[in-house]
Amino acid sequence: MTEIKLMKGNEALAEAAIQAGCDAYFGYPITPQSEVLEYLAREMPKHGRVVMQAESEVASINMVYGAAGSGFRAMTSSSSPGISLMQEGISYIAGAELPCLIVNVNRAGPGLGTIQPGQGDYFQSTKGGGHGDYRMIVLAPASVQEMADHVFLGFDLADKYRNPVLMLSDGAIGQMMEKVAFKPYKKPDIDKSSWATTGKPKTRDRNYITSLHIQPEKMELHNLKLEEKFNQMREHEVRYEEYNTKEAEYLFVAYGLSARICQKAMDIARGKGIKIGLLRPITLFPYPYKRLAELAPQLKMVLSVELNSGQMIEDVRLGVNGKVPVEFFGRLGGMMPTPESIVHHLETLIMARNGN
Amino acid sequence: MSVAEAPINEAIKALTAKDFATDQEVRWCPGCGDYSILAQVQKVMPTIGVPRENIVIISGIGCSSRFPYYMNTYGMHSIHGRATAIASGLKASRPELSVWVVTGDGDSLSIGGNHTIHLLRRNFDINILLFNNQIYGLTKGQYSPTSEVKKVTKSSPLGSIDHPFNPSALAMGADGSFVGRTMDRDPKHLQMMLTRAHQHRGASFLEIYQNCNIFNDGAFEIFTEKATKPEEVLFLEQGKPLIFGAQQNKGIKLDGFRPVVVELGNGVSADDLWVHDEKDFYKAQILTRMFDDPRADNHLPRPFGVFFESDRLCYEDAMKMQIEEAVAAKGKGNLDKLLRGNEIWEIL
Ligand SMILES: Cc1ncc(C[n+]2csc(CCOP(=O)(O)OP(=O)(O)O)c2C)c(N)n1
Ligand code: SF4
Ligand SMILES: [Mg+2]
Repeated sequence: MTEIKLMKGNEALAEAAIQAGCDAYFGYPITPQSEVLEYLAREMPKHGRVVMQAESEVASINMVYGAAGSGFRAMTSSSSPGISLMQEGISYIAGAELPCLIVNVNRAGPGLGTIQPGQGDYFQSTKGGGHGDYRMIVLAPASVQEMADHVFLGFDLADKYRNPVLMLSDGAIGQMMEKVAFKPYKKPDIDKSSWATTGKPKTRDRNYITSLHIQPEKMELHNLKLEEKFNQMREHEVRYEEYNTKEAEYLFVAYGLSARICQKAMDIARGKGIKIGLLRPITLFPYPYKRLAELAPQLKMVLSVELNSGQMIEDVRLGVNGKVPVEFFGRLGGMMPTPESIVHHLETLIMARNGN
Repeated sequence: MSVAEAPINEAIKALTAKDFATDQEVRWCPGCGDYSILAQVQKVMPTIGVPRENIVIISGIGCSSRFPYYMNTYGMHSIHGRATAIASGLKASRPELSVWVVTGDGDSLSIGGNHTIHLLRRNFDINILLFNNQIYGLTKGQYSPTSEVKKVTKSSPLGSIDHPFNPSALAMGADGSFVGRTMDRDPKHLQMMLTRAHQHRGASFLEIYQNCNIFNDGAFEIFTEKATKPEEVLFLEQGKPLIFGAQQNKGIKLDGFRPVVVELGNGVSADDLWVHDEKDFYKAQILTRMFDDPRADNHLPRPFGVFFESDRLCYEDAMKMQIEEAVAAKGKGNLDKLLRGNEIWEIL
């Protein structure tokens, strides 16, 4: 039976972790996502699960490494400065091929920045914030409902690819209250017996969890194996939503919170007779390049709207591959654009293009 | 006492606490213990004889770490847990500055525990002021590495099961060369301890009990309130016997390696008591371990004051000596010559 609740984004996320069978959560307080740790500290023990306040985010991600290595569904969450501290661990976890879920409730940076929402962590999330050749699936929730849904999806994808999955949310979605439905969920049966540190019976070979392969020949083979997984992700895991794209001449591209604002902006602009649609990437890696390429020929202009100084726009440009001009609109420092200001910017750009 | 050698000129002498205040709006909750610490630091600063422009206050992140905004000196509001590393970098580069770290129990012992022990071990001449409120204040009330076991907070609704740090014992373990404790509610003692921390040449570790009246109110009230303070607090004074109690009728004696409380009178006199010696490394270890739960039966009073002070070579001095030795042995380096190397020829 589907349960419907009115919840804060961060709480929906935490509740979803419990319902998704998260075995262990490790976290360190940081605004605007401390509610995740607090909710789970309250609720996880009732379900016999592990929850721990770590001494830092460096500790959190490495505790996740340990728990994931034992075959547990493990998770951590933080906000931007804390996620920066986790980058080393994420790189090692990807190298060691362990599944886990990491949630970033993005605040505005760089440095300490502010606790208001931002999307400045796009590059870090999608281009490999840690060192070495690795990728992870990045899910971008745009509602409280998706804060929950992406937890189930994220854990499943992490297990499927034995790779970390990142949810890239932001301070506004984490803090806002909306209705959320929890559908019944069954944790897939995944055989982890070949690698999890669950003891060594006679029937099983010894297994080392490591990201180290000293001989370059072996390391290259390992890299190629990882790359094959990342290619599989590119092939099978692209997710997006589109609105009014059928006859669109203009297109907003936006994810998460800015996609929410663009939806409103789209309605206002369409009311003014501008034929504009919206493409909302749900996975930021893998990115919907293909869909953008398909849409490009019909478009006069694409506007990438982000809460940063222009990061995703580079992927939008890769997608349309020069076939159509790509413009940018963004606010910084925790400021949010109004739908009207986006429409105003759009109109100015259209006017400039039309030469008046 | 890095800059104390500089003659105190009249201009510095004339400074008052007001000269160390800023026009920034102080953004702590009304009633927060941080206010008292700020006031005492502002009072002590004009007395240490260091020009304002030679003082740097470096903080991490937390309520306490807002401190540099309120001090009319140089300041760095830095990264959560990293103030001690940043201070080390600054002191190594500019040893002539008077460097103060202001940090919280989370900042210095949780996320920054690593850098804190390394600063102490290296013995940079830096004063660490640890505002211990046994809670994460800024993030609105989660338990910290100094919170007591069973503490119920937002992140420990069933009671914390984490064994807390004993900060002064930790500082002793890291070979801190000055280890002391004071409290926000005793301005005189706090001022005296700030002065002592400044005077000590080497890393000074000063733990300051600080009330967070919003998320952990009364955590230290047993030590700070008039009714209980005399029985619960043991003030350490160099060369004086360890005496406490409302009637000053109790003392601490060593029974082997164990401190025990004795009543004065009935044949027991001050001469029988443990006499405090800050230079005694072994006894300092025992003193820092007098860390009983004040609610437990037959608990020992908690010591406040200087547990330990020793003269140990400062890192920046050792570094300077090493540089001078290298120059003496090999001569002053010539970068240009080094870049050109030995194999240089002219093409005609
Ligand atoms: C990397 C990182 N993680 C977490 C935080 C959030 N944070 C800021 S201050 C703080 C703890 C503050 O506690 P404490 O150091 O005891 O200082 P207080 O506020 O109690 O003075 C935390 C967890 C942060 N700013 N950066
Ligand atoms: S939360 Fe606590 S420590 Fe922070 S300013 Fe308020 S009273 Fe002080
Ligand atoms: Mg604190």
